[in-house]
Amino acid sequence: MGRVRSKSGGRVEADELLVQVAAGDQRAFEELYGLVSGPVFGLVRRVVRDPAQSEEVAQEVLLEMWRSAARFDPGRGSALSWVLTLAHRRAVDRVRSARAAVDREQREARRSHHPAFDQVTEEVEAGLERQLVRRCLDRLTALQRQSVTLAYYDGYTYREVAERLSLPLGTVKTRMRDGLTRLRDCLGGVA
Amino acid sequence: MSILARLFGRGDLHSLAAPYALDALEPGERRTFEKHLRGCDRCAEEVRAMTEDAVRLAWSTVAQPPLAMRDRVLAAVRQTPQEAGPLREHVREPQAREYTPRLPAHVWGTQPQASRARAPQRRPFFVPFATATAAAALVVASLFAVQANQTQDKLNAEQAQAREIAHVLAAPDARATTGADTAGRSIGVIASASEGRAVVTLSGYDALPSGRVHQLWLMRPDVQPRSLGLFKDDTPLVATGLDKTATSLAVTVEPGGGSAQPTTQPVVQLALKSVGFGE
Repeated sequence: MGRVRSKSGGRVEADELLVQVAAGDQRAFEELYGLVSGPVFGLVRRVVRDPAQSEEVAQEVLLEMWRSAARFDPGRGSALSWVLTLAHRRAVDRVRSARAAVDREQREARRSHHPAFDQVTEEVEAGLERQLVRRCLDRLTALQRQSVTLAYYDGYTYREVAERLSLPLGTVKTRMRDGLTRLRDCLGGVA
Repeated sequence: MSILARLFGRGDLHSLAAPYALDALEPGERRTFEKHLRGCDRCAEEVRAMTEDAVRLAWSTVAQPPLAMRDRVLAAVRQTPQEAGPLREHVREPQAREYTPRLPAHVWGTQPQASRARAPQRRPFFVPFATATAAAALVVASLFAVQANQTQDKLNAEQAQAREIAHVLAAPDARATTGADTAGRSIGVIASASEGRAVVTLSGYDALPSGRVHQLWLMRPDVQPRSLGLFKDDTPLVATGLDKTATSLAVTVEPGGGSAQPTTQPVVQLALKSVGFGE
């Protein structure tokens, strides 16, 4: 997914490879690894942040891609979306349990503790997609953008997002929906 | 909000589609919503589209993984058996509730095959529960989802009620209908004519002053209204012993403890024809 130009070709290729992987083809898996490991690792690291844990989660996701490949249905979406959806779910689960552990420690230690400041990890590739996503995110209202990014990039539940933004739950749900819709409109032409 | 209000308030469940696509639901809500998705093709489609939108946010995060990771993953792959596809599993385990224990339900290809073939439900006020069991599961799940901060007594009562509701929903002829007034207040019912039972819920009605209650009545032609019970907060009311001649339900405001016969005009009335009564 590094380059927009190769995207459609790369995506079709990834779809075909995943179907071959479902049939037990390890060679196809190696090739597919080359196509999806960057997006998977990057997404997991963005959400999980801790490098060692990110690696662990990304490995689990890629192994799950092997184990569960038969569940992929090319008629319903691309292989890349499939595996990124899975990666996001696993990353969010990890970051939430890590946060819960931090909360416990904080309570036990009874001292203030500042979790890692919300920093955007330094990506290896400054691809066109990234600029595009950022530009489209910039076109959202502030609340739409915060609602979407706190959930997707930082792994907060919509309740936590509502708390952080001091908004009613219903408003956050609506901002998330509107944000995604506007994002679709903005990114639509390049899918 | 009561369980049935949740069930009828489809808009409310639908509003979870975006948080779900962003993986922003808590585990209990996630399970509830996934159960809902299995019985609602329209929602599943909507969620798929929104998940595609969400995935685009990942475009901005590509990063090169450590080289050693590749060796580890490939080594693991060589030793790890693969799962069978969903189709084979479907044949082997047609009743499986937890269909996709490993993958989120909105990951393409993980939905049960049967749900794809089912026609979308478009009529908002009449929902035949062809999938009564799934609907019952949803009700039970939504109960468990809200149990976190409730007392054991209330939980026991709600669980007993959930069983009652599940019982009605599981009837082959279970049907649902709702009616709303111009102020947006609504009454919902899930009824089974063969069982003579119905689960009735009110939503949008303000709390009554103390000493007043909402009372539910069964209306039949040429017969005095029969009391079906009193509403307590927004808890659904399970009505039993309904006969097939019943034409409608009515709700009146009565003094605390209820009345033998209605003493005020109904605040809302709902015909039962569409749920198999009124013969």
